[in-house]
Order: sequence, then structure tokens, then C-alpha cells
Amino acid sequence: MARVSRTWMTWSMVLFVIFALAGCGGGADKPAAGGTPAKQGDASKPADAKPADSKPADTKPADAKPAEEPKLSGDFEIQYFVGGYGDTWWKQVISEFQKLHPDLKIKESAGPKINDQMKPRWIQGNPPDFVYIDGAGSNTRQMVIDDQLMDITDWLKGAKNVDGKPILDLLIAKPEEYQAGKYHAVPLVFGSWGTFYDKALFAKNGWDAPKDWDSFLAVGDKIKAAGGMSVYIHTGVYPYYINGALLDPATVAFNNYDGSIIKRINALEKGVFKSEPVMKALGEIVQMRDKGFIDKASPALNHTDSQSQWLQHKAAFIPTGIWVEGEMAKDIPQGFEFGFVPSIGQPSGGKFVANPYTSTVAVAKKAKNPAAAKAFLQYIFTEKQAKQWAEMSKAPSNIKADLAGTKATALTIEAAKYYSSPNTVVAPEVTIPEDLVKVRNDATLALTKGEITPEQWADRMETAADKARAKVNK
Amino acid sequence: MKGNDFAGKSRMKRNLFIASFIVPTLALYAVFAVYPMFKGIYLSLFDWSGGSESYNFIGLGNFKEMLHDDVLPKAIRNDYILVAGKVIGFMILSLFFAVALTRLNVKGSGFYRTVFFFPNVLSVVVVGVLWRYVYNPNVGFLNSFISLFTKQPFDYAWLGGKWSIFALLPPSIWAGIGFSVILLVAGIMSVPESLYESAHLDGATQWQQFWKVTLPLVWEQVQTSVIWIVVTTLNGSFVIVTIMTFEGGADNATQVMGSYLYFNAFKYGKFSYGSAIGVLILVLSLITTVALQRLMKRDAIELS
Repeated sequence: MARVSRTWMTWSMVLFVIFALAGCGGGADKPAAGGTPAKQGDASKPADAKPADSKPADTKPADAKPAEEPKLSGDFEIQYFVGGYGDTWWKQVISEFQKLHPDLKIKESAGPKINDQMKPRWIQGNPPDFVYIDGAGSNTRQMVIDDQLMDITDWLKGAKNVDGKPILDLLIAKPEEYQAGKYHAVPLVFGSWGTFYDKALFAKNGWDAPKDWDSFLAVGDKIKAAGGMSVYIHTGVYPYYINGALLDPATVAFNNYDGSIIKRINALEKGVFKSEPVMKALGEIVQMRDKGFIDKASPALNHTDSQSQWLQHKAAFIPTGIWVEGEMAKDIPQGFEFGFVPSIGQPSGGKFVANPYTSTVAVAKKAKNPAAAKAFLQYIFTEKQAKQWAEMSKAPSNIKADLAGTKATALTIEAAKYYSSPNTVVAPEVTIPEDLVKVRNDATLALTKGEITPEQWADRMETAADKARAKVNK
Repeated sequence: MKGNDFAGKSRMKRNLFIASFIVPTLALYAVFAVYPMFKGIYLSLFDWSGGSESYNFIGLGNFKEMLHDDVLPKAIRNDYILVAGKVIGFMILSLFFAVALTRLNVKGSGFYRTVFFFPNVLSVVVVGVLWRYVYNPNVGFLNSFISLFTKQPFDYAWLGGKWSIFALLPPSIWAGIGFSVILLVAGIMSVPESLYESAHLDGATQWQQFWKVTLPLVWEQVQTSVIWIVVTTLNGSFVIVTIMTFEGGADNATQVMGSYLYFNAFKYGKFSYGSAIGVLILVLSLITTVALQRLMKRDAIELS
């Protein structure tokens, strides 16, 4: 009897292993098939080339460089990261571009791990022509430092999109000057940090959305007195959420709504982290901490943890970005109404400060087909594509466009309203090197927990900035 | 002459035979272990971001930078907290379980042996995610349990504190204990039953039997387990750290050398600095293992 059951068990285990392996094998096949996009087939099918003739004629006067030929040909490789925004828009715009230029052999290198997969080729000097820089393992500033991206300053200053409009005039956030006076990349996606709340919950309890720091403190006191939830929960594992949504906008507000302070931070100017606007902004975090507004769970939570606890009404406010609606789509409870203010740190009666969070596109320095890459850039920076991006990716793009009447999400439309309002200042983005980002993250979290003072926060940043400067000057 | 020739030929055949076993292994070892190691040491002498085409030789610059790095001492401290905690936790628990499963006539000991090994089969990623839920401050199992006994809901952030490195010990011990239990069980089973019998006849208690018979005779296995724990902790604790506390916890509270290496090399654009940390890990693991081997050296007890 015992023997029979043992044999039976052995065989069932063997079968289990076989099935498991078969399952793995099937799984291993899939990404391989998905990883090499089926685009190659499309590229070798130039049959439907009819609308191509009229459009390139449009492009011609728009071109800044007369040397560029109207007909593009040869290989053209596009690298794009696929993350929260999906790849629907990319597939669509690339197939449109392909129809426009039937002689072009477009290759897509895309996926959620594409940054790591393509890294060896960038190092060996064989990069793709066009790159969308987003997701883990990518950093525009680092790519500029590594001399991987083409300096497109002169071209961009005169470049017009396929509709004949100057590209630079259409952008909400201007291209960052990673090297003084030079453009290497153009922001394509415009997200914004902000402080979020549930409109339905606030209406039910008679709480008012904050308009400035004082009204935030006032409503915070009410929420705390009501009990049952904490006032402010944040993503302690990634403190750049609270930095981006609270600290940076407040810093700009205390600098008389002048974004130049962010440029001084990006330039790692000596003493900037001890300057008055920064110290005042840090003071607000201390004030909030001492009032007991910050949820104690925060230091251990990542973005999905903190966002889902906020959705479950464990806290009233959360600092995050407008992508939160798309990111948490599956976990939104019935009757939850997203509301947001771009900033809460401004002094009484002040303006809102919107702090952007952009993802950029760029042309590789060693691109083999720069003409095609530039033409593609001119093709995607149009109002039409802005609307398509907003609908397909559920986030605003960096192109000024009226989104009313489109299928964009409510938050996206509300955000777009803030950006076009005269009562909102759009600040430059903080783009300090990644190791400094880490020092800033650590310091801010320690500050929210009461382990260090604002002065110690500033000391840490100044020391780290000193080191970074010494390295650049070497 | 002829005989000599024959002998030479057969020796050559023999050598060929041996070589056919050694060469492939040696080649694989060289390609996958020796080459990366030396490449890592080589890269640690440069200032390379990990993404550029140009390398910049700076000699020992990265090692000098280490001296002024505030995070690194924390990371080393955390590594050794994990090593010490895991060695103590592993040895106490696994010796207890191994003795219980072999000497104490527990019913269904075969079943338990399998059960203890289960977490070893789970991927560390699964273990980490699982325990993140246990530790979750607002909705986690642990705090919900403690809240049963407190007036106010207990909301301590286990993974967000200054000493949350200690919170990583239970999951790592839970995840790895099966291996050392199996190792020790095998060791205890190879101890002849007659020794226990005579000890019993001489009136030795279970406790005395453990100290005087079991422990000396399984010392070899204990040693192996300890070295195994030390090496895997120094080289591999980065997985549990990054799964459970992402970028090294609150203000680097759980940063270990492995995770700090990873972030420097792949996130902060300081690949060669990461390589230098790798060299540091190599040196420290070597010193620790050699020191431990010296410390644990006992005269092997031969069973005749």
C-alpha cells in the first residue's frame, strides 16, 4: 500500500515538473515574440503609399535645414520605453509616420526593459536614431553627461512641426539646458506633481480644498479633530514624491514665484540649499510634522502602497502626480472623485506653482539617420498628436492643446486647466544628478520623521553638492 | 624501448582523459567567475559612468572616495548585523529543529523535514513581498495582531524605522533555514546510534547528549552552514533589501553593500564606484570567512 502511494506521488511530481517546465517554456517564447516588434513586416509593405505624396510637400517649408531631402529613406530605429503610458500611441504614430515615408525602414526597439537591453549598444557607439527617455535605468541628464545625445540647439530654435508651427512655442515646459545654452532633448510628456484629495469625501464632510498653506493647515486641523484618518500620507520609500509635490513648489513660491531658484539648484550653486526660500519651504514640512499631520506608516510605503491606502481613506491628502488616476485605475473605490491642487505651500493668497515631471525625446549623437529622427520629431510635436497622446496614454503631453471635448481623463483635463490659468506659475523641473537625488530623498525623509533639523538637511545637501562640483571640475 | 613508448602513450591517454574532465569546467569557471571578477577589479580603477563610450583612468580614486562616503559605513554595519543575526538565528533554530526531528521522536518528522524546506524553494522575491504585507503598518498582519492588545491601533512602520535592518532578519531566517536543517539532520543521522545508547546507559540526559555527543560530531556541518550563511549574506542580502525596502530603507537604514553597489552602478551613473564596492565586498568576505574558519577550528573527531 505504502509503496503504491509512493510511486503515485513520484509520478505526479514528475508530471508537475513537466507541466511547470512547459509553462515556463511557453512563457519564455512570448516575450521573445513580443520583443521583436512585428513592425518589420509592415516596413517591407510599402504598398499603401498613396497619401505620402501630399504630406512631404507640407513638411518641406517647415524644415529648418534646406539640406534635408523631402524623401526619407534607409533604416530608422526608434527606442521607446513602455510603462504606465502604454504603447498604443507609439504604435499609432509610428504607423502614421511610416505611411508618410514609405521608403523608410522603421525599426521599433521597445518594451518595459528596453533601457537595459539597449545599454550595450549605446556604450559601443551603435545607438538607435531616436530615443524616448523614460522609465527605470534612464536619465536624460546622465545621457548628456555621457555625450550620447545630439546637440540640437540651432535646429530646434528654427524647427517647425508638420503643421508649420514653431515647436518651441508649442511646449508647456521648455527643454532643460543640461549644459548652459544647449538643448539636447525635448520634453514630450508633461506630468505634474500635486497634492491630491477625494472631492466626494471633502464635500461630504464640508472640508474645503486648500488654496494655500494656511488653508491647508486649517483643513488639516479639522480632519485631525474629526479622527478616523490621518491628514497626509506620503510615499516614504521614494521621498521624491513629497519633494516634488510640496518642497519644490513651496521653494519657488517663497522665491516670489520666480523659477530661477530651481535653475540655481540644478546648477548646484554653492549655498543654494541654505538659501531662504529652501529653508522656509523645509520649515513647512517641520510645521506639518509637529502638528502630527503625517501618517506614521509613510516611511515604509512605496507609491502603490501609499496611494491605495489613500484611496481607502486612511488619509485625506497625498502628494503624487496626475498619473495616479491611470496608475491606480483598478483600485479606485466606487464614488471616489479625484481632486488636486498643484501646490499647497504658497503663502496666504498666493498663486499655485505647478512642478512638472517630464519625459523627453532626443536624437542620438551617433544616429545613422538624423534626418529621419528630426522629421519624426517634427511629426510628433503637433496639437493633433497632443490630443491623441492624452486620450491613449491618459496623461497630458507637453504640447499646448485644448483638451476639452477629448476623451482624456478628468484629472488630465483639470490639470490642463491649471497650466493655462494666469494664477498658476509653471516652475522649471529639478534635474540634479541621481546621487544627489538620493541624498535629498534621505534627508527629506529623515526630516519628516524628526531625526534631523532643516539646518542638517541643508548641510547634507551642501556637502553632497560640493562633492559633485569637485568631480565636474576635475 | 618499446615498453617505454607504450607507457608514454598510455600516460598521454590518461592525461587526455583527465583533461577532458577538467578543461570544460575550468573554461566555464574562467569565463563566468574569474573573468568577471578581474574585470570588476579592473573597472574599479576608472571613472566610468556605465553609459559612456570613454573610460577615464583614476587609479585608486574610487577607493579614496569611499573613505569620505557616509553611507558606506552604515552599509557595512548593516551587513554585519545581518551576518551576526543570521548566524545566531540560523544555528539556534536549525540545531533545535534538527535534533527535534532526529533525536526527540517527533511524530511525522519526515513531513516536517519537507515543510521546513518549503520556504527555501520559494523565490526570495515572493518571500520579500509576502513579508512586506506582514509588516505593512496600516493593514499588515503584525500590527493588526498587536492592535488586538492595545487601545489605539498600533501603526509602527517596521520597515521605515532607524533600525529596520533587524526587521529583515526574520524573513531571511525563515526563508533559508530549511537548508541548514537538512544539512544538520544528515549529520546527526550519521552519528552511530550506539553512542547515544551508551550515553543513555551512563545516565546522560538529552541535554548532555546534545552537548557531549551530537554537537562535537556534527561540528563539521555546523561549520559548513556558518560559512554558507556568511558568504550568501555578504553577497546576496541585496535581494531581500531591495525587495522589502526598495532604495535601502529610511535614510539608508537597511542599505547593505550589495544594494549600495547596485544603486551606484545602475542608478547613480557611477559604475566604477560600484565596482570598487564590489572589490570591498570581495575583500571583506574573504577576511570574514578565513577568520571564521580559524575561530571555529576544532580537532575533527574521527569515528573509528
